[in-house]
Amino acid sequence: MRLSARHLPHYADGGRRMAAFLAALAFFLSTIEYMLPRPVPFMRLGLANLPILLAVDLLPFGAYMLLALVKVVGMSVLTGSLFSYVALFSLTGTLASALVMRGLRFIAGPKALSYIGLCVAGAVASNMVQVALARVFVFGPSARLMAPAFMAFGLVSGLILGVFAEAFASRSVWLARARDGRHD
Amino acid sequence: MSIDAPAPTPGLLSRIRIKPLDVLIVVASLAALVVLSILVYGGAPSETLVVTADTGEWVYPLSISRTVEVPGKLGVTVVTIDHGQARIIDSPCVNKLCVASPPIGKTGEWSACLPNGVFIRIEGAKKTDGIDAVVR
Repeated sequence: MRLSARHLPHYADGGRRMAAFLAALAFFLSTIEYMLPRPVPFMRLGLANLPILLAVDLLPFGAYMLLALVKVVGMSVLTGSLFSYVALFSLTGTLASALVMRGLRFIAGPKALSYIGLCVAGAVASNMVQVALARVFVFGPSARLMAPAFMAFGLVSGLILGVFAEAFASRSVWLARARDGRHD
Repeated sequence: MSIDAPAPTPGLLSRIRIKPLDVLIVVASLAALVVLSILVYGGAPSETLVVTADTGEWVYPLSISRTVEVPGKLGVTVVTIDHGQARIIDSPCVNKLCVASPPIGKTGEWSACLPNGVFIRIEGAKKTDGIDAVVR
C-alpha cells in the first residue's frame, strides 16, 4: 500500500486498539440494525458497515481486513446465522465491499472521492456479489431477477449511509484526531 | 477513546462536499440499474408461476388458485396462488422474511426463502408453450 501509507495514521500497536474499537462499534450497530424494521424483506441498511467505511482511512490493510472478518462473525452471531450458509453471503458481501472501498481509496484520495462514492460502490459491490452467489449456489438462473432490486437498494442504502458518514466526518473531533494519529 | 456525536446544527448537510468520483460512481450505478431493469422486466405479460428448489423446478398457471408444497433444504415451503397472485405462506426458516414479503403477480417479480433454497418467480407466457412441468 505505497500510496495510501502516506495518508494513514501511525500506530505503535499496528492499529489493534483502533480495530478493536471499530469492531465493537460494528457489533453495536449490528444490534441496532437487527432491531430496525425492514421496509423490504431481504434488504438491510448496512449500518454495521460504517466502521469499515471509516477504517478505510484509519487502519493498515491487515487490520482493516480483520475488522471486516470480525464484523461478519459478530453480525452472524447476533442474527443466529453463523453456522448456516446464509453467513457465507454475509462474508462474501462484506469482503467484496471492503476490498472495493479500499481499492477505490488506493486509486483516489479524499480530494477526488468522499465517503459517499466509497459507500455507494461498497454497497453495490456487496449486493451484486451476493446476487452472483445466489445464482451459483441457491437459485440458479432465476437469481437474475433479483439483480435490479438489489442494485437499487444498494444505491439507496449506500447514499444514505455515505451522506451520514460525510456529515459525521465533517463534525467529528474524534475522527479528525484519529486521522492525525492522535488517538486516546 | 471518546466519540463526539455530530450535533444536529443547521447547515450540517451544506458542509458535505460532493467529489467528482462520487458523481461518477452514482451515475455508473444508476446506468447499470437501468440496463439491468430493462433486461429483467422488459418481458411478456405475466402468465405463470415458476417455483425453483433444490429438488427441481415447477411451473403453475397463475389463473388457477391452488396451494403448493415445495420440498426444500430444511423442509416444506408452502406457496399459494390466489387471484393471479402468489406468495409464500409458510416455510421452515427462522426469521420468516419470505412469509412477510408481499405477494407477487407481475412478470419479473420474485420472492424467496433463502434458508430453504426455494425461489418463486412470475414469468411471461412464452416460455411454457406445450410444457406442463419441467423437472431437472
